[in-house]
Amino acid sequence: MLKKIPKWNVVLLTTLLAEIIIFGLINPRFWNINILLNSFNDFVGIAIIAFFVTFVIITGGIDISGGSIIGLTSVVTGLLAQVYGLNIWVAALLAVLVGGLCGLLNGILIAYSKVQAMVITLGGMLLYSGIALVLVGFSGASTYEGISGFSQEFINLANGNLLGIPHSVIVFVVMLLIAYVLLHWTRYGRYIYLTGINQNSAEYSGINTRKIITSTYVLSGLSAGIAGIILTSYLGSSRADFGAEYLMPILTAVVLGGTLITGGKGGVVGTALASIIIGFLKLGLQMGGVQTQYIGLATGMLLIISVAFMGGQKFKLNVRRLLNLKKDRGGNLNA
Amino acid sequence: MRKSKFFKVFTGLAISTMLLAACNSKDAGSSTDGEKGKKDARDIDVVFIPKMTGNAFFESGNDGAQEMAKKIGFRVKYDGAPEGTVANQVQIINSAVNSGADAIAISSVSSDGLNQALQKALDAGIKVVTWDSDVDPKYRSAYINQGTPDILGAMLVDMAAGQLENPNEPQQVAWFYSSPTVPDQNSWVDYAEKYIAEKYPNWEIVTKQFGEGNEQVSLQKGESILHTYPDIDVIICPDSTALPAMAQAAQNKGLNKEDVVITGFASPNSMRQYLENGTIENHGLWDVKDQGALAVYIAYHLAQGNELKVGGTVDVPELGEVKVEPNTVQGYDYEAEDSGIIVLPERIVFTKENTNDYDF
Repeated sequence: MLKKIPKWNVVLLTTLLAEIIIFGLINPRFWNINILLNSFNDFVGIAIIAFFVTFVIITGGIDISGGSIIGLTSVVTGLLAQVYGLNIWVAALLAVLVGGLCGLLNGILIAYSKVQAMVITLGGMLLYSGIALVLVGFSGASTYEGISGFSQEFINLANGNLLGIPHSVIVFVVMLLIAYVLLHWTRYGRYIYLTGINQNSAEYSGINTRKIITSTYVLSGLSAGIAGIILTSYLGSSRADFGAEYLMPILTAVVLGGTLITGGKGGVVGTALASIIIGFLKLGLQMGGVQTQYIGLATGMLLIISVAFMGGQKFKLNVRRLLNLKKDRGGNLNA
Repeated sequence: MRKSKFFKVFTGLAISTMLLAACNSKDAGSSTDGEKGKKDARDIDVVFIPKMTGNAFFESGNDGAQEMAKKIGFRVKYDGAPEGTVANQVQIINSAVNSGADAIAISSVSSDGLNQALQKALDAGIKVVTWDSDVDPKYRSAYINQGTPDILGAMLVDMAAGQLENPNEPQQVAWFYSSPTVPDQNSWVDYAEKYIAEKYPNWEIVTKQFGEGNEQVSLQKGESILHTYPDIDVIICPDSTALPAMAQAAQNKGLNKEDVVITGFASPNSMRQYLENGTIENHGLWDVKDQGALAVYIAYHLAQGNELKVGGTVDVPELGEVKVEPNTVQGYDYEAEDSGIIVLPERIVFTKENTNDYDF
């Protein structure tokens, strides 16, 4: 069953290469490696969260609160560092932990109360962005302006580069490796799959599925916290509305990456490839002269087409039948 | 098995990126060479960035920008996201840099959130012009200003005073705009209060309310002003969301221009119905089409390799000669030879008589 996923990764990789070639033909500047690497800045937050939302979705759940956890951690960082004068790195660490706590709350409620994950994380989404707005009020800044004035060191966290490679790319790779090792090389990762395939049988075979489920939400919350820090550094200010528009891109990356929305099947490599595909698609279309407001259209089409191909067995069968029909006709004509 | 597959994909990616890197270093070099020297109008790309798309004010700005571009022959790409967030604007600036634009003209959603992105644009040799809403003057060459705080502050007070029978008598005045920290509106109100203290010392400011740029919140705040201060004489709303909401609140309560004077800044299309049904007497704004046109023209002018000198003038087709003023007119401390403010030559007071002459 799992064998199918790597095949999907090949499809994704081909799509990515095709994308790079096509957009490069439209605007040759797209082939500038610096431009491609720097564009990671604009989707690294989405990708980091998507890696760990992949875990959640494999267990059969869903987490839509990631975007508002970004806003919350951003505000917490700004508040602690700029208003209460804490060391910026301590503030950032605490903020990531706050993200983890948000995830823990989601996870406990979902695993132990058996309410649907969508409902709980929807509530979480509204709750956390509400808290973020209230906290901005404490800082004396309006929600309009946010808290700014961070040190250059902190700004460099997302804007700097190491040996010519932007930090955002490094963060992307490190988070991908962590997620990959956790999911594919450890027993914990196998438990996540087993929980998603059939929670009851996993429970009977001695896995504490509730703990597993809770832990995936904690990871997802922590990753949203990290994304919040990166975004705060990248944009040089902390605002409650950061990440508000990330919800759909995160889910798109996970689903396009080949993770089954009903759980039990998927992987982070696919998610990583898909988030790069979506990021480059946006960049490439913009560089090709398409207005930003129409880019959602392209992403939407990509998602629908790919999911139809990937998930719908019936769809696949029908397409095959259609193709065979054509072949038969061709054959007959030749004969 | 799976491990090896992962690494295959990984190395595949790595190799392909390296290949790309190798075949491109040449291109990047030659394109920067081409940027020196004067360019033909047809080769100049200006990216015109609104706070958000789908808002009448910014769409009108774009109409003006496109007309100007057509006339001169350069290209203007209108690029904004439906949600006016910092992250979206940064992404749009980045892609403008990446795609090799020559200049950008932006109405910023944040006074400091774009700094990093703008610095990258400047480093890449792109000219930065702001319009409508400014950024830190260090990061742009020119700000196309709808009016300095003293012009607009005095205009707000005069629009209200002109409707009063006895402007020198005591009046209860309320301010109603978007937020206590938004830079432009607060600077107008600050000056307007000084102006009131000098010219109409009997006026009393009873309250300041903020609608957060949100239509629903603005309507509620507007209604609460009328409930809390039944004797209010003047409500001034220098915000394009607050003013229509205030007028609607007055209309809902059955008040008209005889009962309370409501004025402020908003686009004529959003206020026409209130002028025509007598809820308000007048309101003001600048011609946003001219502002858009001026912004892209200055961007184009700079991209051609022309310098902008503080104190100098620029001849703009259709709009005439405009003067580059120092940043201090807007109250900034930062002063530099190549960073200035261009104030739109005129602002408009809309009344029942002339509102139909404008469409924005």
